[in-house]
Amino acid sequence: MTKPRSGEGFLSDRDILIAVITNVIGVATLSLPRLIAADTNSADGWIAIALGGGIAGTLAYIISKIASSFPNQSFLSFASDLISKPLAVFITILFTLQFMVIASFQVREISALAHQYLFDQTPREVISLTFLLVVVFAVSGSRAGIFRLNMLFLPFTIGGLLALILLPVAFMHPENVLPIFHTDFKGYLKATYTTVGSLTGFGIVLFYIALVKNPKNTPKMAVRGMLVVTFFNILLYIICIGTLGNLTTANLFFPTFDLSRSVQIPGSFFERFDSILFVVWTTIVFTTALMAFDLAVMTLMMLFKKLRRIRVILALSPILFFISMLPKDYLELTRISRFMNSFSVIFIVSVTILLGVAYKVKGGKQNG
Amino acid sequence: MRSFSKKGSNGTQNKHNSQNSNESNNQNNTAEVKVPIDTNLNTNIQNLKEMLGQPEDLIIREIKVGSLQKKCSILYISVLVDQNMVQTNISKIVQSSNAQEIMAISEMKNILAVNEIADAVLSGNTVLMLDGVSLIWIMNTAGGDKRSIEEPQSEPVIRGPRAGFIENIDTNISLIRRELKDPNLRFEMHEIGERSKQKLAVCYVEGIINQDILDEVNRRLKSIDVDFVQDSGFVEQWIEDSFLSPFPQILDTERPERVIYSILQGKVGILVDGSPFALIAPVTFGLALQSIDDYSQRWVIGSLLRLLRFLSTFISLFLPAIYVALIAYHPGLIPTQLAFSIAASREGVPFPAIFEALLMAVAFEVLEEAGIRLPKGIGQTIGIVGGIVIGDVAVSAGIVSPAMVIVTSLTAIASFTIPNYSTGVGLRVMRFALIFAASVLGLYGIILIFIMMVVHLVNLKSMGVPYTGPFAPYFLGDLKNLLIRAPVMTLTKRPPYLETEDTKKINNGGQDK
Repeated sequence: MTKPRSGEGFLSDRDILIAVITNVIGVATLSLPRLIAADTNSADGWIAIALGGGIAGTLAYIISKIASSFPNQSFLSFASDLISKPLAVFITILFTLQFMVIASFQVREISALAHQYLFDQTPREVISLTFLLVVVFAVSGSRAGIFRLNMLFLPFTIGGLLALILLPVAFMHPENVLPIFHTDFKGYLKATYTTVGSLTGFGIVLFYIALVKNPKNTPKMAVRGMLVVTFFNILLYIICIGTLGNLTTANLFFPTFDLSRSVQIPGSFFERFDSILFVVWTTIVFTTALMAFDLAVMTLMMLFKKLRRIRVILALSPILFFISMLPKDYLELTRISRFMNSFSVIFIVSVTILLGVAYKVKGGKQNG
Repeated sequence: MRSFSKKGSNGTQNKHNSQNSNESNNQNNTAEVKVPIDTNLNTNIQNLKEMLGQPEDLIIREIKVGSLQKKCSILYISVLVDQNMVQTNISKIVQSSNAQEIMAISEMKNILAVNEIADAVLSGNTVLMLDGVSLIWIMNTAGGDKRSIEEPQSEPVIRGPRAGFIENIDTNISLIRRELKDPNLRFEMHEIGERSKQKLAVCYVEGIINQDILDEVNRRLKSIDVDFVQDSGFVEQWIEDSFLSPFPQILDTERPERVIYSILQGKVGILVDGSPFALIAPVTFGLALQSIDDYSQRWVIGSLLRLLRFLSTFISLFLPAIYVALIAYHPGLIPTQLAFSIAASREGVPFPAIFEALLMAVAFEVLEEAGIRLPKGIGQTIGIVGGIVIGDVAVSAGIVSPAMVIVTSLTAIASFTIPNYSTGVGLRVMRFALIFAASVLGLYGIILIFIMMVVHLVNLKSMGVPYTGPFAPYFLGDLKNLLIRAPVMTLTKRPPYLETEDTKKINNGGQDK
């Protein structure tokens, strides 16, 4: 610990577990019930969420299994081994772009959230910019620091989720959940697809596994992380439907948050509990944006080895801010998030298949 | 005998010369000339006198010793030595025939250059020189007045030892040695201060300490380059990891038992001559919120006190900022009844909440600073001025609202529960940053500053050990000695983040692993 640990292998399995949880839980978690409810009837969406979680978990397992059989090797180097260098470079570039868009999406969503729940007059540019600056400050620190940050914020993440889930329980109406199993097959399919899209954050293991000291158990940890997230998603969804009903859920921008509007805390020290929750959720969105930014920097530095980290960060920040300010309104934002969803599902699935097939073909020789 | 000593001294002289040349390269600004020791007694004395500028209090006694009636001199500075010891032990015995055998002084060593004689004499030693021999004896007779051991002023406890460190390092070392009789207890001595030549002791327990941490501490201590160290705080600033951070990365304490507790955990204690504050490194953030008192109380009490301190730290950091944010940006968040009464009390206050908060916060800081600087006799004046003028009159004059006074005083009281003063001061800085952020962006600004604080903390290290301690990296087992103070029987492990050689607290001197 006292020795400089900037080299490879300073993370433990548990770090990956926590990173997966904090990365996957983000703004997407808040809007997931809306997207699911739009495609399914009453509370049937939970099946789709469970299915999606299962698929995402499997993908996460395959990906981390492949990555962990190349301990302490960067994504680019082992991908070049498996699927020729040009293809690996192409995929890395796509990952860079994806992470940049994810980061700027979070930056934009935080201002959408703030407008809805905290203050509606402050210009969204100010909210996003200050948020981005804090993210930049965090990214410029050490990478070990980022993982420590994840750990410190984990209680906030879990606490924020539990508050969302537990507080409205008293307001649930069982009749909202019924009738069950009335969704058609196409609905399930679409909802599952959306769920997988919201869970693609597990892609980070591809890159972070290179930093794990002993990545033998890491695939299990990644899957466990996905299970935790899926579990919370299902609970959140059922609570949402139970309290608001399917139709309302489908039409609220952040249905999970609006739940807490109705909540009265005993003793009523704070009214409008959603605003307090927003504050907690800022940290959750922050960790997602932070890791996406860090990975964008990391993948860029894989491609251009001579670049200095701080310069990459400073160069990326204005670009991220620009991207985040592109969508004009909520509608456009929703459209973009739909597109991002589709893109990340197709992308991560094809990368998994590509790497998986190449790994099987080139075979067990690296698999020690 | 004589030939032996000559040979020995020659050998060491060579070695010493090489050291000298190194040193003179390092410190060529201090134009010191190393004068070698002459065999002639008078030359040596003349050299020494010249070097010290013919001081009045340099006592030189010429005695004839032994059967040969050899000339010899005893030199010391009268104000620095224990006169009694010099009279009874040295002067008389030297004159007896078998002086070497009976000479019974705590510390004796041989030296080789006149500069060193000067250093020795200035440290309160007595020097014995024989004519015709270049061998010189240094005898530790340091005396002079020192403060008696008193109860520490800066960190009082209700239940616990009353002894505190004093300015004398030998006494401080003895305080530690007396309590901890472990044969593995080590004191590594350094000399700091280019001109002051103060002693500095690094204390640790061999077999527990992580060697990497110890090496790092020693390396940093060797890099110190100052003329004089007025307090251990000076050393602290030289060796801390980040000088930009508002959080102290080294803990200071006046309590010997706290140093002992810490070095038994695998930390390093640093004692500096002239300072009653010992330093402890590496530390983590939670440590500053602990008092050694917690261990003397029963565990439920100790745990509750610790939780209370976390709560009051939170209050002292965030309360004024939250007040400003709620009043200025989110009045809707306050329960209706409370919002009305606050609004009523703010009736007629001419300033916005941010200005009010800053006014009160600054007034409080000024009061606190004035309270420290004032002589104790007129300290009460501050209380009256502060209490009546700021509290009462300001409200009735309609300059600040009563709610703001409540917030400020709550903050003030909460901030005094932080046991470590340096940490408290650091948090005061953060409080102002939070008030500003709250006035610009409300609750959102507060959470952003909070995130920045956490980001800063996770990147901060103390002697290379992550400052966020057992929170992250996650060492769940150690939280029972941080958030709460679990029953003493369960506290069997040393802090894992220190990676100590010997992890079990109950051990046989670190022998079994």
